[in-house]
Amino acid sequence: MNYIQDFILTNYNLTDAKLDKILSTAYSSKIDFADLYFEYTNIESWTIEDSIVKSGTSSIDGGVGIRSVIGDKSGLAYSNTFNYSDLIEAANMARSISKSGKNKKVKLGKPITFKKLYEPSSPIELTTDKDKVNFLKDIDQYIRQKEPMIEQVIVSLAASHSSVFILNTDGINAFDERPLVRFNVMVVLKKGTRRERGSAGGGGRFAYKEIIDTNFGYKFADEALRQATVNLEALDSKAGTMMVVLGSGWPGILLHEAIGHGLEGDFNRKKTSAFSGLIGKKVASNQCTIVDDGTISRRRGSLSIDDEGCETQNTMLIEKGILRGYMQDKLNAKLMKTKSTGNGRRESYAYLPMPRMTNTFMLPGQYQNDEIIESVKEGIYAVSFSGGQVDITNGQFVFTASEAYRIKNGKISSPIKGVTLIGNGPEVLKKVSMVGNDLKLDDGVGTCGKDGQNVPVGVGQPTLKVDEITVGGTKI
Amino acid sequence: MSQLVSAQNIKDTLLKIITSLNKKYDYQFNVTTSNGVSVNCRFKEVENIEYHNDTEMTVTVFNDYKKGNASTNDLSVESIEKTITKAENISKNTQPDEYQGLPEANFTLSESKNLGIFYPQDLNTNDMINLVKTCEEEAFNFDKRIINSEGAGFSLAHNEHMILNTKEAFGSYKSTDYSLSCVTLAEEKKSMERDYWYSSTRDYQKLETAKQIGIKAAERTIARLGAKTISTRSCPVIFSPEMSSSIIGSFLAAISGPAIYKKSSFLLEKLNQKIFPDFIKIKEEPHITDGSGTKPYDCDGVLTIEKSIIKNGTLNTYLLDTYSSRKLDMKCTGNGVITNIVIESDLPYPSDLIETLEDGILITEMMGSGANILTGDYSRGAFGYLIKNGKIIHPVTEITVASNLLKMFENIKSIGNDFDLRNNIRTGSILIDDITIGGAT
Repeated sequence: MNYIQDFILTNYNLTDAKLDKILSTAYSSKIDFADLYFEYTNIESWTIEDSIVKSGTSSIDGGVGIRSVIGDKSGLAYSNTFNYSDLIEAANMARSISKSGKNKKVKLGKPITFKKLYEPSSPIELTTDKDKVNFLKDIDQYIRQKEPMIEQVIVSLAASHSSVFILNTDGINAFDERPLVRFNVMVVLKKGTRRERGSAGGGGRFAYKEIIDTNFGYKFADEALRQATVNLEALDSKAGTMMVVLGSGWPGILLHEAIGHGLEGDFNRKKTSAFSGLIGKKVASNQCTIVDDGTISRRRGSLSIDDEGCETQNTMLIEKGILRGYMQDKLNAKLMKTKSTGNGRRESYAYLPMPRMTNTFMLPGQYQNDEIIESVKEGIYAVSFSGGQVDITNGQFVFTASEAYRIKNGKISSPIKGVTLIGNGPEVLKKVSMVGNDLKLDDGVGTCGKDGQNVPVGVGQPTLKVDEITVGGTKI
Repeated sequence: MSQLVSAQNIKDTLLKIITSLNKKYDYQFNVTTSNGVSVNCRFKEVENIEYHNDTEMTVTVFNDYKKGNASTNDLSVESIEKTITKAENISKNTQPDEYQGLPEANFTLSESKNLGIFYPQDLNTNDMINLVKTCEEEAFNFDKRIINSEGAGFSLAHNEHMILNTKEAFGSYKSTDYSLSCVTLAEEKKSMERDYWYSSTRDYQKLETAKQIGIKAAERTIARLGAKTISTRSCPVIFSPEMSSSIIGSFLAAISGPAIYKKSSFLLEKLNQKIFPDFIKIKEEPHITDGSGTKPYDCDGVLTIEKSIIKNGTLNTYLLDTYSSRKLDMKCTGNGVITNIVIESDLPYPSDLIETLEDGILITEMMGSGANILTGDYSRGAFGYLIKNGKIIHPVTEITVASNLLKMFENIKSIGNDFDLRNNIRTGSILIDDITIGGAT
């Protein structure tokens, strides 16, 4: 169900003639491009803590973002009501980016069709609140019965459903409905005086039943317990430069931080990225092929169409070590004389779209995971991370391990804690000397922040070995 | 287009709605509105103008110790009623928890109370555009090596907050926020660096000038050029005021009610124990004029109060909201929010901490999520400057900072007087001994 199409347009009597008028108000003779972004989003979450489902939250956010663009200039105004007069006022404010100019006629396009990568229904409505609550109780009980050292268990379920309607002066007229669910479990174990945390979770653009009616929840509960148990034994890590093996899946956050942001179109148009002007140049070892693929069915980072109404794509970023392309939205693509790659995204109607990643991952190579570990005489095996950050200008990136081990003479030895990796984006991938054949995408937990806007993303990679990277730790 | 909601209007609407609600339930309504504009210029041209107007109402229902929460951005009577029903429905499916419920307090606090955080100012878009253009121009004029910019930006916001519950508590207040910022890039020998400066105030008249901000941004960016990697070492580190407030932020997170009752804090069981050196004082001052964290009441509608958190290095109190205080059987401290936190030293404040350092590092930027509140383990990426004999020698890149927060607090040697008043955590630079620095050479 598209709430905008089925309710908003009718209830607020927003006929084609009125939509036409709003769009042409935002589009004067001085304006190159204008768009309307209608959104109606429903969000909920349920959490169990101390074995009590203490609270549930539900929120609705709806409105219309109106944008007028001239060259590299954008005007944005939005309304959090859907009244015609409010939308006309917002359109007038958006177009104030240009000093003057008469209204320009627009011709509304017919609704476009595109491949749907997920079911349109709202996960919030497909499952009863009672079932959601009972599921949380089951998982909580399962963990507490399984683990005597348990100190704290927090399990949560969250979902959102967005209906969007995008209308622009290029003739795009598109409706999309976007479900998203997320499950998370966090445990604290206590052994003696030491407390350590483990957490795990997953989700995607599907219904709750995929979590509730499967072993999904138990799998992640086991994983969180395992991680906490490992961390209880973790030793201080040594600081300095060393060889690092990154596990498959979520450690792909390396690609997101080290190169992904640096390949977003806006930074490259403005030449503020360490990767500016490097198309066709070698930026990684031959074994590295990296794509941004928004077209994978039901994944957290996927979108059938981006927030500018362009179908998402599988974009080649780096092919066998050579930089092939950037991720683009409409504005930056136009200024760089290329086409949008379907990466124009915005947190909501209240923000301007910009180039953002979808699912960014490295394609598999030829080595087995154990072959890679055996090749390391002394180093670190990092299998899970809590987050990362990058300075796109100097290329410096950081990411923090939540589970890591020492490797000694080709064997995984003791777990270590407080491991932060720091490197330089354009340099680090040149030091990738082995790429595994075990490509895995993450479980659907990533959120990326840029300029204060958060959007769901995916990452992935096979096991890979970096010959040298700086590792933070307390020991010298 | 904005739903201009005054506290009085919405109060009357809500009071009317309340009369028809289930008397067995307790209700709390939080409303916030924010209206404003932001203008960005890059290379002397307007890059974007964004007008924003945000409204949010949250309804909390307590139904026999069961809680439900729902929010909406549509403040029509119909939508408010729907949201209430939704919160009630949620509360029917959650489980009872004896510690939940409205706070005991009831008070009426009208917007007329002058907190010194509301300074409306008439500004037209052209004034704002001129301001940001000047700011960026000053940065470019400062040094030829400033070759690029992510632009300069100005933003203003008028905010209004209101809280009302069925135990007759009511409060509302208004505030304003102004900010002016500039982000510049410098290049030398094919290596690029970026840095920024900003000013942010409640009162437009107190903003640093466009010229000051442009020059400061340029100076900071130029200073980063020629960064070198260094070897791994353990040494004293000066954290800039911005970085110091982030470290104190980790301390505050660890003494917050939720972290304590969830047993998720490295400061568990540390109440009334010494965790900082004797000379450190940390206070909460909720009502500072112009304070960026100034608030009269917390998110549950409990009045905020002045308090000493650390005195003679000893932890005097946790920061408790209504729920955590009941759960821990302690007194609520009005900390459903954290307002203004002030860090003071009983030692004299050196006017320049760098001059006091023989051999160490100044950290001006940290990256990554390596502050573990459960264990106190601290491990982050950083950018900074090598210091020898009280002087900056060169910038350093690709370094990591690691220690344990408890050890870092104990090892604080001194605090500078370069207080950062933009932040709600007001601290100067902090010098901490014995930090492990990981380096790339």
